[in-house]
Amino acid sequence: MSACGRLLRSAARSCRALAAFTSSRRPLRTSPSGRAFAKELFLGRIEKEAVFPFPEVSQDEFDEISQFVGPVEKFFSEEGQRSTVSARDSAWDLRASVDSRRIDLEGKIPNETLEKLKSLGLFGMQVPEEYGGLGLSNTMYARMGEIIGLDASIAVTLAAHQAIGLKGIILVGSEEQKAKYLPRLASGEHVAAFCLTEPASGSDAASIQTRATLSDDKKHFILNGSKVWITNGGLANIFTVFAKTKVDEADGSSKDKITAFIVERDFGGVTNGKPEDKLGIRGSNTCEVHFDNTQVPVENVLGEVGGGFKVAVNILNSGRFSMGSTVAGMLKKIIEMTAEYACTRKQFNKPLSEFGLIQEKFALMAQKAYVMESMAYLTAGMLDQPGFPDCSMEAAVVKVFSSEAAWQCVSEALQILGGSGYMRDYPYERMLRDSRILLIFEGTNEILRMYVALTGLQHAGRLLTARVKELKHGNVATIMETISRRLWDTLGRNVDMGLTGKLGAVHPSMADSAVKLEENVYYFGRTVETLLIRFGKTIVEEQMVLKRVANILINLYAMTAVLSRASRSIRSGLCNHDHEVLLANTFCTEAYYQNLLALSQLDKYSPENVDEQIKKLSRQILEKRAYICAHPLDRTS
Amino acid sequence: MSWVRAIPQIRGWRGIVGAAFSGAASSQVPRQPLRHIHLGAAAPGPAPTPSSSSSSSLVPRPPVPHEELFGPGSEAGPQDKARFVQAVRAFGQRNAHRRGHVDFIYLALRKMRDFGLERDRAAYHLLLDVFPKDVFRARSFLQRLFVHYPRQQECGVAVLEQMENHGVMPNRETEFLLLQVFGKHSHPMRKLLRMRLWFSRFRAANPFPLPRPLPRDPLRLAGLGLRRLEPDLSARITVYQTPAPPDSTDSTLSPEPDRPHIVGIQSPEQQEALGRHDPARPVFVEGPFPLWLRDQCVHYHVLRADPLPPEYRVAEETPEERNLYYPMQLDLEYGRGPWDDYEFDIDEVAEGPVFAMCIAGARDQATLARWVQGLQETNPTLAGIPVLFRLASSTREPLDSSSELAEQPPPSPPPPEGREEQEDNRRQQQGQG
Repeated sequence: MSACGRLLRSAARSCRALAAFTSSRRPLRTSPSGRAFAKELFLGRIEKEAVFPFPEVSQDEFDEISQFVGPVEKFFSEEGQRSTVSARDSAWDLRASVDSRRIDLEGKIPNETLEKLKSLGLFGMQVPEEYGGLGLSNTMYARMGEIIGLDASIAVTLAAHQAIGLKGIILVGSEEQKAKYLPRLASGEHVAAFCLTEPASGSDAASIQTRATLSDDKKHFILNGSKVWITNGGLANIFTVFAKTKVDEADGSSKDKITAFIVERDFGGVTNGKPEDKLGIRGSNTCEVHFDNTQVPVENVLGEVGGGFKVAVNILNSGRFSMGSTVAGMLKKIIEMTAEYACTRKQFNKPLSEFGLIQEKFALMAQKAYVMESMAYLTAGMLDQPGFPDCSMEAAVVKVFSSEAAWQCVSEALQILGGSGYMRDYPYERMLRDSRILLIFEGTNEILRMYVALTGLQHAGRLLTARVKELKHGNVATIMETISRRLWDTLGRNVDMGLTGKLGAVHPSMADSAVKLEENVYYFGRTVETLLIRFGKTIVEEQMVLKRVANILINLYAMTAVLSRASRSIRSGLCNHDHEVLLANTFCTEAYYQNLLALSQLDKYSPENVDEQIKKLSRQILEKRAYICAHPLDRTS
Repeated sequence: MSWVRAIPQIRGWRGIVGAAFSGAASSQVPRQPLRHIHLGAAAPGPAPTPSSSSSSSLVPRPPVPHEELFGPGSEAGPQDKARFVQAVRAFGQRNAHRRGHVDFIYLALRKMRDFGLERDRAAYHLLLDVFPKDVFRARSFLQRLFVHYPRQQECGVAVLEQMENHGVMPNRETEFLLLQVFGKHSHPMRKLLRMRLWFSRFRAANPFPLPRPLPRDPLRLAGLGLRRLEPDLSARITVYQTPAPPDSTDSTLSPEPDRPHIVGIQSPEQQEALGRHDPARPVFVEGPFPLWLRDQCVHYHVLRADPLPPEYRVAEETPEERNLYYPMQLDLEYGRGPWDDYEFDIDEVAEGPVFAMCIAGARDQATLARWVQGLQETNPTLAGIPVLFRLASSTREPLDSSSELAEQPPPSPPPPEGREEQEDNRRQQQGQG
């Protein structure tokens, strides 16, 4: 079987020359403009060049991807299982193929499956080729994620290994560190884990307790502390550990700062607790990891001493975009399975598929899958642009949207099956449990919404400083201009940002949707400006406002992605492009009205804005720490 | 307020209306004038006994014709409901025409507290049942217009008023009895309707509800008081000292007088604040301050410090590398607009932090020092902080403002001794640290 992996890797190498060619061609396709798309939305602008046309892979890249995808897909799908049974070495392969049900029940991925994953090269997908990995681009990585996502436990194990576990070495590791660790990590001989969370420290870096002190001979750091909820904690040999160290400042004082370390299990003093009992992704290994006087050589500092915070942020930001395609893969599979059921199961002499409320669910699932797929590949395409563009905001948007869509769609799929869906005989309850974690890990959705909104507002706020200052100081010209613009807006402005029309970026069949997007973007820009004038830098405390801002942004990015993708499909004549156009138009209409609602909720005096009531309600409840209403049966006499 | 007070002074049937109208809200209104007029008219008698002084103002002082029915005073035997019921029955049997029932009812109302029945609705029903039925009902328009049988109606209102003062809610049976006795358009009926309207609305108006009856155990009572003082629900109540149990074998020795109870409360935030407190700056034990729990008064002490002078204050800065996921502060040059600044413009006087509170059985320094010792177990830093006692003597008015005391020497009665004691105490504290 390892022959297959070798084959894959040689295929990858043979494609490398072509890839070099394609990468040199890439800049020609899209403009090298470094301006991020999502940030510009906050100013009410659409950075067309960044998102139109939809990123496309060349024929050679496409062939390369197909080569990788084939065997992996076979391995993950049940067809693969059946065909291998009939094939030569059946017994071993049967055990090795993915049996998600068994993984969930036993709470462990069987060793044969892990070996097979390693031989397929899946442990080193993004490791550069010179270190023995597959060296996949972000787009190709997203494509692979689509298949791996069929089993959540495996997806999480692989993601913890390479999206965060060894990512630090790729991003900031020195040449020596790369040469020393990456080859064995890429082959899967060593498994990596990312150790950041502590009992007292989730998102708060200041409360990290793990400490690394420099030994007297200045050759080692002595690492002490505990980390919790470490995925792969029991399997891993290489840990990326974040700990506080004393750093001497320029002015002679010393300060506690976070430093990242590469820690091998063989350094000694590394122990792990027993695997946690979880709701979902039960096959992945999550446990506590303790470091007791672990001696870490100074060469193993990742990045600079005291520079761990930036390393952590970079790693976390870089790993998020792939969730979109991973979830999309799972959703596509679910749609297939539930559609089969809905068309065969009969009630009142009619198949379920003829009932409107069932049809609605399929439309919803397809729409969500389409949107997240579009966003994921658009973002992956942006990330593959030369010059390491910063797409962390877009990645966060993809993560938030796809995780919530996953939870909603799996729940709807379970609903289609009714009582059967609730039974363990069907995979839906497992998928439901598995998908719940998506909203929590890699930054909870709440936190990512804050990130999206605040990053964008920071960008817009800087550029608007001059205007806001003039307004606040009562500059008559600026005030008059603002007022006249507001007046013009209320009279019904025609917003045109050039997405439609002759030779517009969006195909005419979606012109209506494009106009809706333009209108939303324009008024979003206005609202952001108003919010900045109202709250200034104290907007950080207005979390409910920020949530709405983030929600609008997510919708805007999603609308852009589907319009871009559907336009490309219809122009290049892909099959079923009319279906895509329909999906895009439906989604855009829905998102447009959602945005209008959210925009009006952001308006200070609108009746839709109930933020103050919500705050008061929660304050009353939290004061008493209980539900304080009288029982409906209570009497006063 | 003044008009409420004026109404009872109008004598005659309007007085009843006033009493019925003023309702629960005006029960604190001094009713002394009314009582005098009333007494003059109905039954002059000896000065009210202390036990009945707080009962209904409409109850006239006794001519006491039926006193013997309730037996000799409370010393003789157990005063319970059975005896009360027996007395009321005895009145009914002794006197088929119920002669003097108004006086009897007034007497019974006064006696209710002795029998512990002031919150017993059935007992009130028993009294209302003493009224002869149908006799006092108004039968014509004119009878309804003028008060029919004013003395009896007044008595009926007095029963209801006593119910009201003790928070007893009338029910269907009360209504039935009143209808039978006074009829639909009588003053007691109106009083009943008003009670029913307002009682149900005011019943849950108190944001700090207390159990009824209040616990007699001083420890539990102190716990209730401290919970009211400290809004933080994470705060922990600690009993630092329980009173020595009364020794049953040797009854001559009452519980040690120098072992009063000490109950304290401290929230985690207060504990944290005390941990951060600069040991060079003293903390103060101040008190006693009164706290009323329904009809009981407890006194509490606080452990507090003076506010930090501005030059010592360190502005807490959010370090830049704090949040792994999103920026904690925006790098912008402008703040909140004036139209969105919801803070009221209040002149705030900075008060020092309060670190802990306690309710103790005694208010002397020794007891409070024991509390501070107990606090040191959970707050190790307290051992190194000098503690000053600023206690108001129990005879004087309790401290109302600690800021003015900050400039004065402590107000404990013999200043030189007090000083010495404080110094001793400080030494002791530091020695322990």
